[in-house]
Amino acid sequence: MSVLTPARRRVGSLRIPRVRPRLGLSTVMFTVLAVLVIVPIGAFLLVSVSPRLFVQGHQWFTLEYFGQAFSGASLASLSRTALVGVGSALLAVTCGLPLALLVHRTNVIGRRLWSVGIWALLLSPSYLVAIGWERLFEPAGVLDHAGPLLTSVATFGRGPLYGPVGIILVDGLKGVPFAYLAVSAALPGLGSSFEHAARAHGAGRLGALRVVLPIIAPAIWTALAIVFAETISDYGVATTLGYDSQYFLATYALYNAVYSIPLSFPLAASIGCTLVGLAGIALFAQRRALNGRAYRVLSGRTRPCSRHQFRPLGQVVAVGVVVVFFLIALGVPIVGAVSASLLTNDGSIFGGSGLTLHYYAEVLRDGALTAPLLYSLKLSLICAAVVMVLSVPVARLLTRQNTGPVGRVLDLVLLGAVALPSLVMAAGYILIYNLPLMHSLGLALYGTTFLLTLAYIAGALPNNSRILVGPLAQLDDGLLTSARTHGASGPVAWARVALPVLSRYVVWVWLYCFAGTFFELPISEFLYPPGKFPLSVMINKELSNYHYSEGSAMEVLSVLGALVIVGVVLALYRLLAPRGWRQVGAAQS
Amino acid sequence: MHLHPRTALGAAAALLAATAISACGSSSTTTHAAAPAATSASPATTGTASTAATASAASSATNVPGADLHANHGAGKGPTLLVYSAQGYDINTVKAFSAATGVPTELVDDSTGPLLARIQAEKADPQWGLLWVDGATAFASLDQQGLLRKGLQVPPLNAAGEKVVPSDHSFVPTGITMGCTAIYNAKLLPNPPKTWAGLLSASLKGKVGMNDPAVSGPTYPCVAGIMQMMGGVSAGESYLKKLKANGLHVSQTNGDTLHLLTTGQIALGLIQSSAAIGAAATTPGLKVDFLPDLTVLPSAIGVDAKAPAAVQAEAQKFISYVLSPAGQHQMQTGDPTGDSLYWPVAPNTAPKSELPAFSSLSSQTINPYTWGAREAAINGWFTNNIAQ
Repeated sequence: MSVLTPARRRVGSLRIPRVRPRLGLSTVMFTVLAVLVIVPIGAFLLVSVSPRLFVQGHQWFTLEYFGQAFSGASLASLSRTALVGVGSALLAVTCGLPLALLVHRTNVIGRRLWSVGIWALLLSPSYLVAIGWERLFEPAGVLDHAGPLLTSVATFGRGPLYGPVGIILVDGLKGVPFAYLAVSAALPGLGSSFEHAARAHGAGRLGALRVVLPIIAPAIWTALAIVFAETISDYGVATTLGYDSQYFLATYALYNAVYSIPLSFPLAASIGCTLVGLAGIALFAQRRALNGRAYRVLSGRTRPCSRHQFRPLGQVVAVGVVVVFFLIALGVPIVGAVSASLLTNDGSIFGGSGLTLHYYAEVLRDGALTAPLLYSLKLSLICAAVVMVLSVPVARLLTRQNTGPVGRVLDLVLLGAVALPSLVMAAGYILIYNLPLMHSLGLALYGTTFLLTLAYIAGALPNNSRILVGPLAQLDDGLLTSARTHGASGPVAWARVALPVLSRYVVWVWLYCFAGTFFELPISEFLYPPGKFPLSVMINKELSNYHYSEGSAMEVLSVLGALVIVGVVLALYRLLAPRGWRQVGAAQS
Repeated sequence: MHLHPRTALGAAAALLAATAISACGSSSTTTHAAAPAATSASPATTGTASTAATASAASSATNVPGADLHANHGAGKGPTLLVYSAQGYDINTVKAFSAATGVPTELVDDSTGPLLARIQAEKADPQWGLLWVDGATAFASLDQQGLLRKGLQVPPLNAAGEKVVPSDHSFVPTGITMGCTAIYNAKLLPNPPKTWAGLLSASLKGKVGMNDPAVSGPTYPCVAGIMQMMGGVSAGESYLKKLKANGLHVSQTNGDTLHLLTTGQIALGLIQSSAAIGAAATTPGLKVDFLPDLTVLPSAIGVDAKAPAAVQAEAQKFISYVLSPAGQHQMQTGDPTGDSLYWPVAPNTAPKSELPAFSSLSSQTINPYTWGAREAAINGWFTNNIAQ
């Protein structure tokens, strides 16, 4: 499909539009998304009503599996999932919004440290966070061995932890980085001028807040939508705290349908459809809340805002709040990692338990981690680079006004893709790319590093694009129009005007994609080429072969390695990016 | 140093192009992971040492885009045998097999569930050559779907092995472990029960744990075995309900049950024998006990019915190798505190010293076809009545 767009030709001093065929951005991006995301996911979901289409049953058309998905235990797990998703999204934004404001708009001490903390939380696998909480509060757990007072705390907290409250707490804390990043991306539009204008017209602090907060409403809703979608697709918490609480979630049911005998892809696909439906409801709520309003506040007239200067008492309170947050959010998973990898005998009660670095030494000595780590590192770097480039136009499409039903479908597809466990994507890739037709077309990609990389990109693109929706929604088209008026072509206008504004968030996309791909398991498990073990598969092999401590040590070392890379990239950005790029949206001290 | 925006854009584009080329190159220019080596693989001495072999092998693996996996030829020596395996000793065994026979072999290692899911997803055009996992019921299920080649040549086996060979020879046992072996905390439970009824005693209230058969593959044969031992499904359900009433803890996997045990939350766990014996060998204070009529849980190999004849022939070679003294050596050394702790079915092969003589144990076998057909219903019942 080609789109006719006006170009310009010069006649005397006048520019007269000339019509010439051009492949539109929408067409290109839809094609890319179709190949990467829509077709594989669609294929898997299609199995829910037509198992025979992909040799997954004998029916050409059936609603039997939807009947199963909407009845009994599956229906109950769906309603639990919705509750957990909403609760976690609210908790994540409640924590992420003030945290972003504190770090980016105040002089709170340790701002860089807290930024690193957010990345550390983002990198922590959700199951490790959940295990950390369980290790603390379980009967005969860490708190039970730490004196009568903490034993009472454990006894009191155990009930709520093993249930919806605990699951929302863990998923919500794990969602804070998403909320933080989404809100942080919108803060450049929150200049002090808006607050000053409100105050000048007689508004008090609360009134000024009421004026200012709606400006970042798209980011807040983006944060809610991302955390909701990430939560309902999460398997790490569902399979640890969720299972141990006997509070079964939809992702758990989906994985069980795929991994347990008798395997039922149609049932898994039906459950997947219900998750997409939940994402659709979230999207509908987001659109209703924003009501089609535009939030383009980032223009050429946007002025840097100043940091709020805390007085000593305020500083103490602010630092205290942030420290408590990170102690809870990061301290607990660290306990989980420590108990799993630094204690001899799994922390047994036999008196032989103590701290040891034996498992770390063993992992480093035999080099088991080296090849998988390098393999995953290479693929993560590739994936992050590609997603970094693709996410900008995708986010641009999502934020365009007047995209009509096509835009809304794209929105639903991308959020739906986030809401689906990546297992669905992986299975869909096998269904499509292992078809005999593909082999006869010379596209036998299944079992290759190339297909694994494509799947990683497809898995990362939807949620990374959403990170850019907030800042792009705030970018006033007038900036680009001005550049074009002054003679810049479209790409040059983007490079000179939009890129500086977006550069910081594009780097974040790179980092998030890199970290996510580095530890990705379900896609890796399904699609890794024979003999080439990705990092997550190797760690999982250790854990499932009863080498728990070695596997946990591998995991901790990998997280530390990823954190180093994150730090290096952030430092490089600080060193290499033009000062103007870095100062967009930055507050003045 | 500050970059001009155009320079930065150019650099980004160059990076992207370089990485894309790198991606393509990485998948088209390397060589086979387990291609025949000049020297035979030396047995790994520890579990993590075996993973080093993986890492080494992984670093030189082959992937040719645009080619059917079966059609990947290793240096002109025939089609590649693709092994799907969940065994802890598979890496060194596959490597040694390739070195000994010259058959180009590649390995996909994962847990049983993901491997079966991969096979399920590949149904339109199966890529796997052979499957090597624990539990005859999984193979019975695949056989009933017509996915396994029948009539495999079964090498000579000992009596225990012969008992678990299916009549259609659709899979071949390679070793035996036991389901629901009792591992107990000797500090909390100096006198462990000697019968299944003993697990219902008041002194063990809230102190017994086991895995969920809907999650842990090797646990289903254990549950089926309990039902067979008790006289049928209803009688077995009744027993399990009593166990539940006595405070049974249900966890997902062996690791979870062992964690409850080592932290004192339970005093006795019922898990696969290899995991139990391995844990007892590495964790002071844990001991293993064998209750009567333990259910035999064989590890086995099945061959893809749709694989090319040449691949099936290579798979047959693999079976023969695994049951040879050289193959048994690899199996017994590849994962010394885990899957290597099995009772051999190859004749004249002694089990590792940590294991008691098989003949000293009271055991039973279940019909994998009969009990395999009931797996969904029984797992569903267990989830709704015992796990929750």
